[in-house]
Amino acid sequence: MSYYGRKFAFYLVALWAAVTLNFFIPRLLPGNPVDILMAKLQQRGGSVDPSVRRTYELLLGSDSDESLWSQYLSYWNNMAHGDLGISVSAFPAKVSDVIAQSLPWTIVLVGIATLISFALGVALGIVVGWRRGSWLDSLVPATTVLAAVPYFWLALILVALFSSALHWFPLLGGYDVRLSPGWSWEFISSAAYYGVLPALTIVISSIGGWLLGMRNMMVSTASEDYILTAQAKGLRPGRIMMRYAARNAVLPSVAGFAISLGFVVSGAIVTEQVFSYPGIGSKLLQAVQNNDYALMQGIFLVITVAVLGANLIVDLLYGVIDPRTRARR
Amino acid sequence: MFLHSSRRRGSAAAAGMVALALVAAGCAGSTGGNGTGSGAGGGVDADTLIAYTGQAGDYQINFNPFSPSLIGGPGTIFESLFFFNQVQDVDPVPLLGTEYAWNEDGTVLTITTREDVTWSDGEPFSARDVAFTLDLLADNPSINTVGYVGAAEATDDTHVVVTFPEAAYTDGPQLLGKTFIVPEHIWSSIADPATDTMTEPIGTGPYTLTDFKPQAYTLTANPDYWDGEPAVKNVRYLALSGNQSGADALAAGQVDWQTGPVPDIANVETNYPGYKAITVPLNQMALFTCSNADLGCTGPQTDPAVRKAIFYAMDRTQLNALAFQDTASEMSPGLALMPRDEAYVSNELAEKLAPSSPEAGSAESLLEGAGWAKGSDGIYAKDGQRLAMTVKVVTGWTDYITAVDTMSQQLKAVGIEITAEQVSWNEWADARGQGQFELLIDSLNGGPAADPYYLYAYFLSSENTAPVGEIANPNFARFSDPEVDAALAALKSIDPSDAAARQEFFDVIQSRVAENMPYIPIMTGGTTSEFNTAKFEGWPSEDDLYAFPAVWSRPDDARIFVSLKPVSE
Repeated sequence: MSYYGRKFAFYLVALWAAVTLNFFIPRLLPGNPVDILMAKLQQRGGSVDPSVRRTYELLLGSDSDESLWSQYLSYWNNMAHGDLGISVSAFPAKVSDVIAQSLPWTIVLVGIATLISFALGVALGIVVGWRRGSWLDSLVPATTVLAAVPYFWLALILVALFSSALHWFPLLGGYDVRLSPGWSWEFISSAAYYGVLPALTIVISSIGGWLLGMRNMMVSTASEDYILTAQAKGLRPGRIMMRYAARNAVLPSVAGFAISLGFVVSGAIVTEQVFSYPGIGSKLLQAVQNNDYALMQGIFLVITVAVLGANLIVDLLYGVIDPRTRARR
Repeated sequence: MFLHSSRRRGSAAAAGMVALALVAAGCAGSTGGNGTGSGAGGGVDADTLIAYTGQAGDYQINFNPFSPSLIGGPGTIFESLFFFNQVQDVDPVPLLGTEYAWNEDGTVLTITTREDVTWSDGEPFSARDVAFTLDLLADNPSINTVGYVGAAEATDDTHVVVTFPEAAYTDGPQLLGKTFIVPEHIWSSIADPATDTMTEPIGTGPYTLTDFKPQAYTLTANPDYWDGEPAVKNVRYLALSGNQSGADALAAGQVDWQTGPVPDIANVETNYPGYKAITVPLNQMALFTCSNADLGCTGPQTDPAVRKAIFYAMDRTQLNALAFQDTASEMSPGLALMPRDEAYVSNELAEKLAPSSPEAGSAESLLEGAGWAKGSDGIYAKDGQRLAMTVKVVTGWTDYITAVDTMSQQLKAVGIEITAEQVSWNEWADARGQGQFELLIDSLNGGPAADPYYLYAYFLSSENTAPVGEIANPNFARFSDPEVDAALAALKSIDPSDAAARQEFFDVIQSRVAENMPYIPIMTGGTTSEFNTAKFEGWPSEDDLYAFPAVWSRPDDARIFVSLKPVSE
């Protein structure tokens, strides 16, 4: 079997396992959607009339005696047809609609933040690694401390400072809700403005990792013989840093970046909570709190596919970039 | 920790968040009611009211008044025939109906409907729409949340006659006050009324839907409303991430009305300039016990003496101060809501109110009378079984957790050991339904009208319970008493206006409950709402509680919107 054939087979098995787990794990949660819904209604002073429960049982179809095995089969069958089912917590909306509504927000916010964090972290890492021993080294502990601070705490501090006290940025939300989402300049600039602070918190809290990784790779690459050779040839230091050292040192970071792109779709639940930002994270939370199996499965599926897809691409790219990984032992 | 925030108790999500919110609140307090113009609420328009109902996460459009996942509409877009005030025992407010009358045995209900009302698409409203809506319920079990079993007939354009197979006085408030009338000319062509999401709702109400976005939707005053166009021109409902965000938005002046506890409730007016808070007692907090050994309950709490000993051993004044910010109020062991149902409290009760300070003597003599003896560790025991129980409480509900922790100290002094067991919301709801608990802390509520009957029928009737392992709803305590069942059945066929005839049966229920105590009374919990009085006037007050002032309470919210007026600058 060829290298690529083996890779694809492996990913197919991984996908099957992940999708199967997706099916079973939500069903291990205690409770059922009808009772959660009832308890929630009652919590909010709603009617607890016993006929309400019978109504919801009928409506949500949770009184079925279908066996787990036949549920599993119909689950695969539906998925083959692209049908992710009906969300119970947003009944009667389709899971695919719920996901489609919230996913773009997460992808744009977390995607851009991840990109910025990676680019900035790697660039700083190159400089810090190249000038090791200088005052720039203090950037390493400084950013690592920021990464080590619990994320929600950091986010809340920034909110208290920039939104509540200084009024530089909005406190909550994804855009000015008086505007209509669309391709208008007004909406896009509003969304960008509202996105700055959430993105900033993600960048600040994740930049340390990229910087540290890149800096350490730079340090070890800088001691390679070919760097010495380049220096002996009298090349400009800037050229040696970028073309000789950084280009080799960045490989592991690129792999890490591709994987972290896969995790972009899983969103940042905490970010969305702190900033009341629309996105997939709050939907996942909603699904878990309401025992909404279909929505949970749908979201997990999207995450699984994204992570597996990103890994597959990295694997394939690595085969191209580095022929050694293709060789069979 | 964010995973556990509940809607009602969201502020309890995390101590850290609360602490920071305080910082945020302090910093932002100065902006007051004018708003910053840059927040989620956006608008600073003087006649736009911004409401936060506790919606966590984006809205999914659904304005079907019969759907369990609707996001709004009842009261504001769709109207009921009457409005029943659940916090005050007053006459129903006529809306689409102008009057109603029962026949002598409570089997025929005649409703007169309002003339000259139009749907928001211009079509005229008539009694036929009412009959159509009732038939819709009867024909579709999956939307019949009121348990309607009658037959409705529109005798002319303004009269509907509803016939029931048996006396149905107690179904009245649900049918008249919580059934939202929909237009026949639109709904007759809807294939499945249970799953249609009504993205363009047409109703007779004071508001119409003008803008929907997953992050916020806006209702606009209906210029053709039969009672005149409301003065509050727009109502915008926001979707935030939970009550904590709601409190932050409130502090920044970006929300005009929200319901939920905020830090330092007693000083809302100083901390949030321009805002006022009102606390309305509606939920009776109790320790729910799995009380009935015949239905499979196990543990010391199946002994009524134990339940009553706990009742006497509590120090309610201390609980109120430590756990509830002094917003809770007195509660009657007969479970009649105080002070609303004060007139119903039975004279046969030994104590009309739960004692506010502990009565250790009563607790100890009750236990000793039932054969319990104090062990060497200071805790009672009987037949080798220690008097130790666990109380299930939802993680993150800090007020209840504090209450249980405080109670465990108080009960220990008497010789009863209770331990708080924190579980996730889903697990708790499941355990409660199945009876897999010894004690749990929750509140008793319910009923479409200011009448204790509904709470008794829901929580005490044998019809609504089930053996342990099967879902009970909502008689979670598994209480079953033939005398109570008989009294409930008798109440069903007595005209609710005949207070004297009903009291006899209320007396029976209350004395049986106080004797058995399946739900151990703690205190009556207050629901606190904060609203912007600098921007709008006409809010409900303690003196004029014309509707339950919780922003999520439908259709009470609509009553409040039409009563408000923007404060002229």
